[in-house]
Amino acid sequence: MKDVIVRAEKISKIYKLPGEQIAAVKDIDLDIYAGDFISIMGPSGSGKTTLLDLIGCLTSATGGRLTVMGRDVSGAGESCLVKVRRQFLGFVFQDFLLIPSLTVVENVLLSLYFSRQHQDKKRAINVLNLVGLGQRLNHLPAQLSGGEKQRVAIARAIITNPKLLLADEPTGNLDSRASQEVFDLFKQLNEKEGLAVVVVTHNPELGNQAGRVIKLKDGRLAA
Amino acid sequence: MNAITIGFKNLTRKKIRTTLTVAGIALAVAVLVSLLGFDAGYQKSLSGDIDKLGYHLLVTAKGCPYEAATLILKGGGGLRYMEENIFKRIASDPRVDKITPQLMNSVYNQEGAGGKGAFAMYVGIEHSYLELKPWLKFRWGGWFSGSAADEVIMGYEAAEVEQRKPGDKVFVPGVSKVLTVKGVLKRSGTQDDGVIFLPLATAQNIFELPGKLTGVGVKLKDIGQIADFEESLYNEPGIQVVSLAEVRGTILNLVASARAMAGSVALIAIFVALIGVTNTILVSVFERTREIGVMKALGASSFDVFKIVWSETVIVCALGGLAGVILAISGSGLTAKVIRGMLPYAPQGELVLIKGEFVWMALLAAIVVGLIAGTYPAWRASRMKPVEAIRAGE
Amino acid sequence: MKTIRLSFSFIFSVVSLFFCAAAVYAAVGCQLNDPDRDVKKIFPESTGYKSDFVSIKEIGGGGLYQKIEAALGDKFDPVYEAMDVPYSFYKVLKGRETIGYVHGVNQKGVFGGMQLIISTDLAGKIINFYYQKMSSPEAAKFMDKDFTGKFNGLALTDFLKGNIGISDPSKESGEDFRYTLRGVKKNLILLHELELKDNVLGSVKK
Repeated sequence: MKDVIVRAEKISKIYKLPGEQIAAVKDIDLDIYAGDFISIMGPSGSGKTTLLDLIGCLTSATGGRLTVMGRDVSGAGESCLVKVRRQFLGFVFQDFLLIPSLTVVENVLLSLYFSRQHQDKKRAINVLNLVGLGQRLNHLPAQLSGGEKQRVAIARAIITNPKLLLADEPTGNLDSRASQEVFDLFKQLNEKEGLAVVVVTHNPELGNQAGRVIKLKDGRLAA
Repeated sequence: MNAITIGFKNLTRKKIRTTLTVAGIALAVAVLVSLLGFDAGYQKSLSGDIDKLGYHLLVTAKGCPYEAATLILKGGGGLRYMEENIFKRIASDPRVDKITPQLMNSVYNQEGAGGKGAFAMYVGIEHSYLELKPWLKFRWGGWFSGSAADEVIMGYEAAEVEQRKPGDKVFVPGVSKVLTVKGVLKRSGTQDDGVIFLPLATAQNIFELPGKLTGVGVKLKDIGQIADFEESLYNEPGIQVVSLAEVRGTILNLVASARAMAGSVALIAIFVALIGVTNTILVSVFERTREIGVMKALGASSFDVFKIVWSETVIVCALGGLAGVILAISGSGLTAKVIRGMLPYAPQGELVLIKGEFVWMALLAAIVVGLIAGTYPAWRASRMKPVEAIRAGE
Repeated sequence: MKTIRLSFSFIFSVVSLFFCAAAVYAAVGCQLNDPDRDVKKIFPESTGYKSDFVSIKEIGGGGLYQKIEAALGDKFDPVYEAMDVPYSFYKVLKGRETIGYVHGVNQKGVFGGMQLIISTDLAGKIINFYYQKMSSPEAAKFMDKDFTGKFNGLALTDFLKGNIGISDPSKESGEDFRYTLRGVKKNLILLHELELKDNVLGSVKK
């Protein structure tokens, strides 16, 4: 029986705006197990990113129940959510969002600093070698290609040994070759390192390479 | 990686912006340090100047001294004088340690300064003048050969300008008198360097002021008796008494008023710099909204973010403080020159004296300003919600 | 007890009485009192000037010092005409072009120091001479343009060959007249040796 990393029970996210309410995510049930490779797909506005934000504890659900590694984080405040993110989760974003003034290795060490782990430079170099960037340690992000930047972001996300890697449109700004390289890396991390990966994408060619595909429509799970 | 290194690296992203912000702080700190230095230097130099007058009290003829000063500066006559017998009465007071009479006269030379006209200061003295000022030493020559000799002793600078040595002649225009140089003094660093001294009797004779004096310098045996001594002279007709300690105090009070005004300017400069720093860092925080969101996604707490942004302001202010201190120290000569040109009276000596404690005070002030200035931007950054920050601008 | 009040004007006046002597004497060395005004007055067509401050010590040291003394025909005063005295030369400009020079020297006189200012063309020929400072009972006669104007057109070679042709304007100040000639000669020698560097002294010897 595989460990449950994230269990979402009828979680919802409703945004209250003047004069209206927008339900970005409605009553979604979802279990993510250790070793899963899941892609979340759907048209624009279907709630993919919001669902990822909820799973990733970047925001709180307005309805339902969410547990991460057995901890109930429903309605938790930011100070609680940040601890959960630190301990169990890693993030990769479409725009890479590396710190421009830090080198490749410094961007990776930053992750260790925030998660209160020892800033072991050798460990950072090993991870960068794993993602194929051992030759770029002292480069600044501006000196890297899009694909290379994304691999730094992945290294930054996995160096803290998270249980779950969450990637929001990680190939959105990459060409097809680089996109496939990134997906291959996800697969490698999933198969060889046992890391659970959840990827939001609207590219079916890539999304269908995942072990499980979840489709959303209008904030709900599609049939 | 720590908050300070991350903050420092963030500052290097916008080098021009950071440099300008640092420069603003540096300027404010330089003004503050220079002001403190001027205060210390002026007090020390003024005290030195007044000490080097040699006497505690100055007795002068009663009248409008402003008019007297104007007349003296423009040349010669019309000045009020006191009679010599006053000097004799004061000299007989048992409280007096040393006393020296003087007759000061300036002579206007129409041919001076290329025909534009210039004046020279002549002071008739007795040997007691040197006794009251033991630091006056002769470079060449010595004291007058007689109490009414047609001789002069020249201050160091006066002799240098006129290229005089003992035995040379000096022509006094206005009275068309030729005198012989008997001695030249060594540089004393006081006003005496620019004066031409002559025997009191000679001065009284050539300026046609027999038995007249412009002042009497008095040194008491006990400085604590100044007030009583002044009191006892209050009813003496035709004279007024100036305690040079009071002169020092009054000038320092006047300078303190000017200093307070300049201090206000310095405080305003610091306040403006503080606002500048706050604004710069706040803009930088808004520019980095998505990065701050990512940092929170990576596990940064609100306090982590607060520390990073706060460090940036402290670094900027510390660098600005250091630059300002260096600017103040290296520019102290120029500052002194400018102040000397602006003040109607500036004492000799170092006008801007920057002490070690001023440096530490200024650096500390800069850091405190940084801590204050950085509080709001750091708080704003720390309050950002991760998902809103990350998605901003998408 | 009665207190003696000191008003600001009283204090200022007393202080200025006793401290103003420092303002009488400016820095030693013969610089123009007001270079902007003085240069423009002598060279109305000028647009600016460049100041040079040079000493004999910097340019040629002891050897040059002796050479100048020999040309002057008189010993330098070791105190007031030392090797490291800085001399100010004003290179007069019209746009970028140099159109002349102004130079002043201190010269001991009978009754006080003289400051002799000469202005020359590019070859060093005098086009203007005046006393910036002079102490003498007959100062007015020396400073008169009738006398100073006689120096116009003279060059260093005239002084070296003794072809001056100017007579003493004073009745009883012959020594100051001789000092004046010495001072102007010194002025020209320094101009040629320190600023123009055209070896006029060498060419005259030949």
